[in-house]
Amino acid sequence: MTGLFSTATIVVGLLIAVWAAVLLIMNKPVGRALQSAVLALTGMFVVLAIGGIVQMIGTDREFARAEFVGYLLLSPLIPLGAWWWAKNDESRAGSGVILVIGLVMPVLVVRIQQVWAGV
Amino acid sequence: MSDTHRNATNQGFGRVLVVLYAIFAIGATSRSVLQISTRFNEAPIAYTLSAFAAIVYVVATIALARGHETSRRVAYVAITIELVGVLVVGAASLIWSDAFPRASVWSYFGMGYLFIPLVLPILGLWWLRRSTSSPA
Repeated sequence: MTGLFSTATIVVGLLIAVWAAVLLIMNKPVGRALQSAVLALTGMFVVLAIGGIVQMIGTDREFARAEFVGYLLLSPLIPLGAWWWAKNDESRAGSGVILVIGLVMPVLVVRIQQVWAGV
Repeated sequence: MSDTHRNATNQGFGRVLVVLYAIFAIGATSRSVLQISTRFNEAPIAYTLSAFAAIVYVVATIALARGHETSRRVAYVAITIELVGVLVVGAASLIWSDAFPRASVWSYFGMGYLFIPLVLPILGLWWLRRSTSSPA
């Protein structure tokens, strides 16, 4: 749960946030490339959820399991919703939407890691 | 895009607002289901308030996302309740901290959530005012 892959989700999330911030400042709409990046991030969270649940089943350690699974299952819905919401928007608000989730998702990963560690 | 939709609450900045509300709605609802189902006895007041807050966030999110005239009114009511809630619960948690052994979303004016619970309803009301459609 604290491995390379979860670090990658954090990095990709932050890169997407920077990308969206640049578009927002330049007053440009969200292009196909950024939309694909958000979908890719969604995919990474699906993988994270599967990997996390598999890891959880493989350990007997005490931690808030229900909370852990809840976070893992709900987290892919956020970038997916943002992708859909940004796709249907022609103004630069779409970049704002993606900026928000680009910042929220890394925080979520850190929170998931905390639950995993039993904090 | 038709003209009637131009002033809807779900366009422009409203989209960003809906996403913020949606994140709080998902977070507050799942957290509150967990708190009530696993450890309600630890802090009944805080957890009941969290559940109430969660319902308000869900209603506000849906109302803002729909962006019609009726949903605008629903959003006004929900967001006003939210603002009053965060102010009252925030103040109460400072005065009677014993009653809040576990934090609710609105405790200490949402300090545990970077004060976003306090800023969100103010932004929401401002946005509802700004996005008001001009009478035809």
